[in-house]
Amino acid sequence: MKIVREWCMYCGECAGVCPRCLIEVGEATITFDESSCKDCEICVQACPVRALIKEE
Amino acid sequence: MLIETDVLIIGAGPAGSSAAKHAALNGADVLMIEKKSEIGAPKRCAEGVSKDGLIELGIEPSSRWVTSEINGVRLVSPNGTDVWLTEDTVKLPEMGYVIERKVFDKHMAMDAARAGADIMIKTLARGLERKDGHVIVKAERMGEEFDIKAKIVIGADGPESRVGRWGGLKTAVKPKDMESGAQFEMVGVEMESDTALEFYFGDVAPGGYAWVFPKGKDIANVGLAVIPTLTEKSAYEHLLDFVKNCPTTKNATAVELNIGGDPVGGILKKIATDNVMVVGDAGGMVNPLTGGGIISGMQGGRIAGQIAAAAVKDNDFSEKRLAEYGKRCKEEIGDSFNKYMKSRDYLESLSNEELDSIAKVFRETEFEKISTSELLRVLVKVSPKALLKLGKLF
Ligand SMILES: Cc1cc2nc3c(=O)[nH]c(=O)nc-3n(C[C@H](O)[C@H](O)[C@H](O)COP(=O)(O)OP(=O)(O)OC[C@H]3O[C@@H](n4cnc5c(N)ncnc54)[C@H](O)[C@@H]3O)c2cc1C
Ligand code: SF4
Ligand code: SF4
Repeated sequence: MKIVREWCMYCGECAGVCPRCLIEVGEATITFDESSCKDCEICVQACPVRALIKEE
Repeated sequence: MLIETDVLIIGAGPAGSSAAKHAALNGADVLMIEKKSEIGAPKRCAEGVSKDGLIELGIEPSSRWVTSEINGVRLVSPNGTDVWLTEDTVKLPEMGYVIERKVFDKHMAMDAARAGADIMIKTLARGLERKDGHVIVKAERMGEEFDIKAKIVIGADGPESRVGRWGGLKTAVKPKDMESGAQFEMVGVEMESDTALEFYFGDVAPGGYAWVFPKGKDIANVGLAVIPTLTEKSAYEHLLDFVKNCPTTKNATAVELNIGGDPVGGILKKIATDNVMVVGDAGGMVNPLTGGGIISGMQGGRIAGQIAAAAVKDNDFSEKRLAEYGKRCKEEIGDSFNKYMKSRDYLESLSNEELDSIAKVFRETEFEKISTSELLRVLVKVSPKALLKLGKLF
């Protein structure tokens, strides 16, 4: 599971690097298709403001 | 609801608007959709463009979106050694403007609309499927879901680049090729010149560089881009450090924060398949060394628009018909990218000390003109390591 912190700015960088194309970023929304997520955390590392965290 | 069009463009950045304009000018029925409520905002960009690039695209600079004219460059090494390249000392400058993307992007979209393209804002593309030789794109606007049926879809969705993947292209950006950018627009910036772009190299921005791009006497975009796999800190944390320690910005105040990804892996091998093309950042049309993608994205957009319209006339949207697009982009945009990519790898390999000693030699060198390739040409002359890695290219 991913937690998106409230300071996400919907820039879409995480969506671009997700190798499985699971992240949809709207103008002020972000959703993950968690069912196929492999928890590689590439999206977590890419975020310029560290707005993503993985919930254990 | 079902909307039908010849060419659907997803994303109204500079690349999308350029594709829309040229597809419409060449006779196609064009719709461009954009998920945001305001085209151009928020920006993910330092807003530097070259004059030559605008001229090549036939775009007349407008006082509505030019904020400052640039006639010099200041390169700063980690210990603060700086190299000035200005119009007074250097012939044949390849210089440019710092623009206001919020206004520029909107004006490019207006040009597309004037050429005959339809635009829908606040409209998000959510998926795509092929059906009977066409494409159906699932879209959503203000809670309303509907389908758009198109002969050709052009993915101009920027660094997200999901449209291409829906269509079967490999547009995911590798982590080592995605620059992570953070920038403040600031006031009270104490620049030595408000007509020079400043670049800072070394540990301030692992895998990238930091910049100060003037937008007025004391106003500037102050930002940096890093490769996340090369640093523990986020781009934003690097930015806070930079702003605090840089003499130019330490007394400045931020009025805007921008973040975003910049794909610097070069043009993708395959940018067109049956019914689907990708342009701009979505196709990797970004200079791998500088991270600049406005002009090259618009050049790609122009080619995509022309070819899409011609394919519509031929009633052939196959990969074979659209393959011409990849070929032309490589010839007209991508050729120079390979050497810039090697240069980026080389810059990444330099320590702070090596950068300082190169800056020292640069200070004593006379440059003939200001351009990325001229800088690299001189670099090859002064640095044995550069000669080894880049000698054959410049
Ligand atoms: C920090 C930073 C600094 C930069 N500085 C410079 C610079 O100084 N000079 C320069 O030339 N380049 C610079 N660049 C690169 C430049 O910003 C991009 O290359 C350029 O914006 C690419 O244009 P584009 O049209 O391909 O994509 P974008 O401008 O990103 O436009 C894509 C559009 O698609 C929309 N979209 C995405 N997904 C969907 C969807 N599913 N449905 C509907 N709409 C969608 C987005 O909202 C967006 O408006 C910088 C980049 C960064 C990150
Ligand atoms: S990269 Fe970070 S700020 Fe950008 S959309 Fe993803 S979570 Fe939000
Ligand atoms: S953890 Fe990996 S697979 Fe899961 S959403 Fe992030 S990038 Fe995609």
